[in-house]
Amino acid sequence: MAFSLEQFGILTEKTLLFLFIMTKDGQIIESNKRCKILLPSENQEIKGRYITDFIIDEDVHIFTRTISELSEQNPIVNESFTFPLSRMGVLSLKFDFTLHNDLIYVSGVDTTEEYKEHRALVTISKLTKTGAWYFNPITKEMYWTKGCYLIKDLDPDTPMTRDLGASFYPEESRARVENYLNTLIKEKEPYEYTEKIITHKGNEKWVKVVAQPVIFRNEVVYVNGTIADVTERHNYVEKLKHNERIKHLALKGIQSGLFDYNIEQNKVFYSLDYKRMLGLPSDQEYLSKKDFRAMIHPDDLDAATKRKEDNFKNKEQHYYNHYRLRDKKGNYRYYEVHGFRIKNEKGETVRLIGNLIDVHQRKLNEKTIQENKKRLRAMVNNGMDHTILLNTKGEILMADKASVETIKQDYDRDPTSETTLFIDVIPLNFKPVFLHAFNEALKGNTMKREFERITQLGSNQWLETKYIPIFDEGTKVNSVLITFLDITEEKHAELAIRQAHIKEQELSDLKSNILSNLSHEIRTPLNGIMTISKLLQFEESPEEREKLIGYLQESQDRLLDTLTTLSNFSELESIQKNLDYALIDINYLVETSFREHRHIATTKNLDYSLVLDESIPKAIIDKNLFKTALDNIIHNAIKYTNQGSVQVKIKRSKKNIYIYVIDTGIGIDEKSFQKIFDPFVQESIGLSRKYEGTGIGLSLSKRYIEILGGKIKVKSELGKGTEFKILIPNRL
Amino acid sequence: MNILYVEDNKINAMVMDKMLSKNNSNVFIAENGSQALKVVKEKNLDLILVDINLGLNQMDGCELLERFKKLDYLENIPVFAVTAYAMPGDEQRFIKIGFDKYFSKPVNFDKLLSAISTIGVS
Repeated sequence: MAFSLEQFGILTEKTLLFLFIMTKDGQIIESNKRCKILLPSENQEIKGRYITDFIIDEDVHIFTRTISELSEQNPIVNESFTFPLSRMGVLSLKFDFTLHNDLIYVSGVDTTEEYKEHRALVTISKLTKTGAWYFNPITKEMYWTKGCYLIKDLDPDTPMTRDLGASFYPEESRARVENYLNTLIKEKEPYEYTEKIITHKGNEKWVKVVAQPVIFRNEVVYVNGTIADVTERHNYVEKLKHNERIKHLALKGIQSGLFDYNIEQNKVFYSLDYKRMLGLPSDQEYLSKKDFRAMIHPDDLDAATKRKEDNFKNKEQHYYNHYRLRDKKGNYRYYEVHGFRIKNEKGETVRLIGNLIDVHQRKLNEKTIQENKKRLRAMVNNGMDHTILLNTKGEILMADKASVETIKQDYDRDPTSETTLFIDVIPLNFKPVFLHAFNEALKGNTMKREFERITQLGSNQWLETKYIPIFDEGTKVNSVLITFLDITEEKHAELAIRQAHIKEQELSDLKSNILSNLSHEIRTPLNGIMTISKLLQFEESPEEREKLIGYLQESQDRLLDTLTTLSNFSELESIQKNLDYALIDINYLVETSFREHRHIATTKNLDYSLVLDESIPKAIIDKNLFKTALDNIIHNAIKYTNQGSVQVKIKRSKKNIYIYVIDTGIGIDEKSFQKIFDPFVQESIGLSRKYEGTGIGLSLSKRYIEILGGKIKVKSELGKGTEFKILIPNRL
Repeated sequence: MNILYVEDNKINAMVMDKMLSKNNSNVFIAENGSQALKVVKEKNLDLILVDINLGLNQMDGCELLERFKKLDYLENIPVFAVTAYAMPGDEQRFIKIGFDKYFSKPVNFDKLLSAISTIGVS
């Protein structure tokens, strides 16, 4: 529709439309009276001015572009523009541009209310409770929409001023909030903040305020703001902080940004922090889903999408996701998303509000820790037989697989899943050693200890343990590494060598002792024999000769005794190889030996008696070896008892059979017990070797009984008598 | 010449007595250390012969020599060891602890008698 200039004049006065006719470069040729509102004062003339003189800076280029799009082929376009008004704030007009006869016919509709609403929505996408506000820095006029009043619990008819608006902020934040607005006017930069307010009714609420300047001729002529009640979200975020301390938003060095994703509208609002974090332009209101997805690392995209979809199916309100995002420079960083979902009546998620947290450093740290852990684990499992890492309290932080298995088996505990004190899962004999060494390690000392344990199979195991303190960056010990090395083989080898050496020494001592003893025992009777032979040469008295020949016989007997013992000794080694073990009736065997010595005892007029056990004690032994041993002991008892008694007694207990040989003879002093039995430990060249004569026989007895798995014990009192106790394991 | 012979083996004591008596010596026999200590107190001796092994539970010849050393009146009386200990090194160790002479068993009487004969001279 085109008008003649006359028609335009008449019509235009009766309409609410703003009408212009302008040239193609925007110079106004004609306008109706309503347009006068655009002028700062009534007296000025609008004709001849350019329309761009009146539009806010932001819209100038839009106008230019719109005009340029007009052509014969495309004669009608429409676009909205904003005009600052001296009194009412801003005026938003939606224009139809019609190209006709090289002139542009413009008709504008006042869309201020829609514009305001739109701005509010643009600024913050439909947060639950929002309001819009406007401030004219020149006239200091403040305007609130109904939403603002509702948030502040204030009657919507109350006239609003800047001071009244500011009064809802608590004293401590009021100056800060005021300063935001002042700075905006001065610096022409948008701002946003979240602060606490106290409403008219005294309720505490959290509000998010976003403000943007409207700039006209490089001056802020108007401030466009929104306010949103974010108490719920704030509380949620607080709760989030509380519940997940580790992921605390306030953690130093962690960057985070809020986002609000309106699923119905498929739009996401990002806070300034968010944009800064991702390097997005701060004037970019939205990021489309497609653009956002493009930022996600291709390797993470599928998993992240799946997590999101899975989460949306969940009943839980909490939303969690993680992925790498690319920043402007093309670098990927790790982010975590923690948020909550808002559902409609149907239970569908309509909005997702949350926090994007930069966890890059933490991820890298975790990665490093994980790698170190793997390395340590490798060391733990392969380096030593057992390796255990303890904290300073002595709790197991890490243990090799074998140790874990042992602990599980022996102590029914799993140190990988429950806090376990090491001392609770070690053998009793290891505890004091461990405590001492561990305490030393805590002081920073590296300790090395050896200890012996019995394995499950019952064998002895020697372990070399090392306690290595591990320090934090300073000098403080933060953990102790304990390693165990099985040195059983080395230990056994060492023992074998030592024992072989001792044995060699013993053998050599034994030989020299036996030789020395035998020499003595041969020379003593030989002295008699030789001297007597000499005396016989000169002795003429037959009575004396008779006497001397008697002594000669006695000395010869003693010499023969000694030689018999010698042959016993030489048999000792071969005996062990040719033993004939059989189940033997002990009563019978002892009685035999007892009977064989009766005549000597009777000659000496001794009270010689035998007490058998009432049961029939039996043992698996070599009867010849046993009898030789017993013969020796009974023989000795009679030999060293000149008056009184020699008693032989058999007694059986559950485990053992005991044979007692009790005499009332001369006795042996305590110092000599060892020597009687064991010429092997006697110093090779002692000055005092009193007991050699008896030593050989008794030490043989002891050896024989030990070969048969038994023991000999002796109790004696000098001058009162001696009790020999032979112990043989009971086999029935 | 008064000679004390400390010897637990009766045959050996007896034959020594017979041998030395033939040589105009007066022989006292002691079976053990305590008897010997009694004899040295009572008799005026010229020589003491001591066996080393004096039997089970008894002080041996070496201990007895220690006791003799503490007695002033035995200061100039020679003490000979007469023993069946005759392994290499035995002579040296008995001489080392203070026996004046050492004779192994069986006793070589020629040597013993010639040693006894020098005592009177010095």
